[in-house]
Amino acid sequence: MRTTLPIVTAFVAGFVMVVAFFFRADSLIGSLRQEFTVWLTIVGGFTLLLGVVSIVRVNWLAVERRKEGWRYKILTLIAVFAMAIPAVLPGRWWSGFGRGDGSLYDWLFNNLQSPMMATMFATLAFYIASAAYRAFRARNPEATLLLLTAILIMLWRVPMGEAFLELLPGDVPQWLNTYVMNGANMAVQRGIIIGAALGAASMSLRLILGIERTYMGKS
Amino acid sequence: MSFWQKMDQLDRRWIYLTVAAAVILPFLLPTPLPIVITPEARSLFDAVEALPDGCNVMVVYDYYPTTIAECEPIAIAALHHMFRKNCKVITLSNIPYGGPSMAERITRMMGDQYGKTYGVDFVNLGYKYGYVAVLSGMGQSIESIFPTDNSGTPLAQLPLMDSVKNYSDISFIFEIADNATADYWVSIVNAQYGVPIGCGGTAVMAPKFYAYVASGQFVGLLGGMRGAAEYEKLIEIEADATVGMQSQSLVHLVIIGLVVLGNVGYWVGRSQSKRRAA
Repeated sequence: MRTTLPIVTAFVAGFVMVVAFFFRADSLIGSLRQEFTVWLTIVGGFTLLLGVVSIVRVNWLAVERRKEGWRYKILTLIAVFAMAIPAVLPGRWWSGFGRGDGSLYDWLFNNLQSPMMATMFATLAFYIASAAYRAFRARNPEATLLLLTAILIMLWRVPMGEAFLELLPGDVPQWLNTYVMNGANMAVQRGIIIGAALGAASMSLRLILGIERTYMGKS
Repeated sequence: MSFWQKMDQLDRRWIYLTVAAAVILPFLLPTPLPIVITPEARSLFDAVEALPDGCNVMVVYDYYPTTIAECEPIAIAALHHMFRKNCKVITLSNIPYGGPSMAERITRMMGDQYGKTYGVDFVNLGYKYGYVAVLSGMGQSIESIFPTDNSGTPLAQLPLMDSVKNYSDISFIFEIADNATADYWVSIVNAQYGVPIGCGGTAVMAPKFYAYVASGQFVGLLGGMRGAAEYEKLIEIEADATVGMQSQSLVHLVIIGLVVLGNVGYWVGRSQSKRRAA
């Protein structure tokens, strides 16, 4: 029963979602599909809750056992509660609750979380520059081709570089857009997109047919 | 130790310092640069321009706060254009990490600027888990997926949502993404419901989206801050992206210079060691 029920549920849900594509939205199966979709968003909401419980549990255990960096974990726990609790309390109780404009959550998000995340991402520019300096070498013909293409694309993506490319004979920016971005790049991206879609389709089939069972916590 | 050997072992802190200088310098010495419009940005602008005034559009904030520098100028430029055309804007996000907050802040800021009223001219639906379910569910009924807006007001109490029930009431979707949710807007919303979609993405994601532009599944594309600067030029409102392009220009040139320097060092060092071995 513990195995059969999840497999049957996955089969019915997957089958309905696939078959509903061939039916009108106002048909019985179309309505069923819509119902399943709403359920999915509700169940998904609980998975977010599970994430919060998990992060609290992991960090709390680390603090309790005084593991390395436990002081930072206290900060993580404070941050989780400071963001989550005022956000889930109704705004009609106090204007600081909820997620609306001027709420505590909104203030913390705009003034702490958002700048911190943006800063973390911005520091990548420094690491990329350092890594490019040390690792981007023309060691063989393939690497040289990649290097030259990358330099041309980097020039093309900024006005200063594009002004420089305009000085070269022929329409280099136009050439880059047509042959590199809409040619070689697009061919490769299409291959990746089609490959990923085929992989997703095959995984979905395996789930619907009960071949893939790792979602139940065992192979 | 020769000069090139020294360069080969250059302390990375010098590299960081050079990049920092390249970022800061243009803010101290601003130098306006000409921005050339790519065909992808032009076609996106033309598609929005061709929309009937006052139509319903969706602006989707599918990006994390990490990519604010690239994506926020795109969102602001898009809203300038749409509010200028008196479009009714519905925003939502498939990103739990601050997406609804960014949508709320930016849309309200732009709405205030154009004298728009919340609930009448624009609505923020917020976030719901599961973008595949959300995207396909809205095809039949937006209200079944988002019974309330971001602040908990039932959609029935928002006048704009009286005329917007599903995708058939939406004329255009402006997707701003730094991740793979854009793929689902293509495969679910454009492919199955035929709603035209324009996309603004980070520079890293943009190469992938070229395939969707070529297939007509995206009407146009803005790639990163450069794309935002192009759109700013097209709507004739020069803002953050246009200013930011100066720093980005210089940083790109610095990185290219460093790569060239690193390669020269590598080749000189290699020929020296070959000579010594001989």
